[in-house]
Amino acid sequence: MDGVDFHIQPSAPEPIYRQIVEQVRRLVAGGQLAPGAVLPSVRDVAATHAINPMTVSKAYSLLETEGVLERLRGKGMAVAAGPAAAAEDARWALIAPALAAVARQARELELAPGEVIARLMRTMEDTTE
Amino acid sequence: MKRADAEQAIHERTIAIADNQASVTITGLAKRYGTRDVFRDVSLRLEPGQVLGLLGRNGAGKSTLIRCMLGLEAPDAGTCSLFGAPAQRLPDRVKMRVAYVPQRTEAFLWLDVVEFFTLMSRFYPRWDGNYVQAALAEQGFNPYDRLRNLSPGQRQQLFIIRALAAKPDLLVLDEPAASLDPVARRALMREVVSRAGEQECAVLLSTHIVSDLERVASHVALLHAGGLLLHDEIDVIKEECARAHLPVGIAASDLEHIPGLIAKRRTTNGWTVVFRRGSRDAWPEALHAQAGNGEALGLEDLFIEVTA
Repeated sequence: MDGVDFHIQPSAPEPIYRQIVEQVRRLVAGGQLAPGAVLPSVRDVAATHAINPMTVSKAYSLLETEGVLERLRGKGMAVAAGPAAAAEDARWALIAPALAAVARQARELELAPGEVIARLMRTMEDTTE
Repeated sequence: MKRADAEQAIHERTIAIADNQASVTITGLAKRYGTRDVFRDVSLRLEPGQVLGLLGRNGAGKSTLIRCMLGLEAPDAGTCSLFGAPAQRLPDRVKMRVAYVPQRTEAFLWLDVVEFFTLMSRFYPRWDGNYVQAALAEQGFNPYDRLRNLSPGQRQQLFIIRALAAKPDLLVLDEPAASLDPVARRALMREVVSRAGEQECAVLLSTHIVSDLERVASHVALLHAGGLLLHDEIDVIKEECARAHLPVGIAASDLEHIPGLIAKRRTTNGWTVVFRRGSRDAWPEALHAQAGNGEALGLEDLFIEVTA
């Protein structure tokens, strides 16, 4: 992975560090970034996108705290060989915005929560069969 | 020494040490032109490595604030210090650490490019001649052009090169984006953040072009209607400031009860309010039901909502 592989939109409402965090989380959860894969250096990402290096470090540190990344001695950051539970947490975090959107739309349509959940279960059963 | 006196002495020394560590400390700064307040009671701190974007509309007083901050203009109230020294009486050892590029650069027009940099190199002990050579070559300057014959944008670029060559600990750029083309602007932003990140240079950048700031700023301050309306980390501002729409039936006075209200504006079908999230519990229930959580805003939208 290279600095250019990050998609960064400085003018989006979402802070740049969050954009980086989300992308790394998705790539790790989806398996595109395997455990041990080395992330581009803070300097590389910052220079490529003309963004503040502190923003990149902030994103990496947050991912380190979450256990997604681990700091290699003198070699920057790599994807952690995390336990399966961490991967499941990560997958839940990824679906959270979609769940929030369903909740909001259900509220806007004034649909009963119990019924929404029941239909969601049915939808999921339908798609698994 | 009495115990209270001793504590006071320790307290004062702590403040002095903290001030020395800050690149800029502004306290209660006010400036008047005639009877008009340009700004009043402005306080802010800038630490090494921070990149502060000073935003504001034309005429908001950004340049005046910068000039007062650097001691080039006397404020009517308040104090400002750079690296612990009072801005009005900067010793040479502090002046050498500060580089300032004003909005209009019309000095030294009779010099050619080489003469200009030869002269400038004498003022700064940390002068980086190699950087000057590289930057001039990269941007295609003819060494024997007189400054008078260059475009305002090219002249500004020369003054920016001068500022960076001085290897300052505090870099102040007043509207650098105004006369630079997009390529030169991007190159400048890249240079600015690398100086901040690698050499712990503190940077203050005034602009009304928001997109440059969104890349490089660590902090943003918004100067509007004579005061600093917002001053925080850019990430905090983006995460906390939200916009919501409220219907016509609500009285203007009710809006004042919104916790963290930053701005309100009448629209054809009600109100648009901008507020800081995080104190939701204190919202009047009826308003919160209508406004919800609000939508996140980019910096440009926020700037427009708050200053329009």
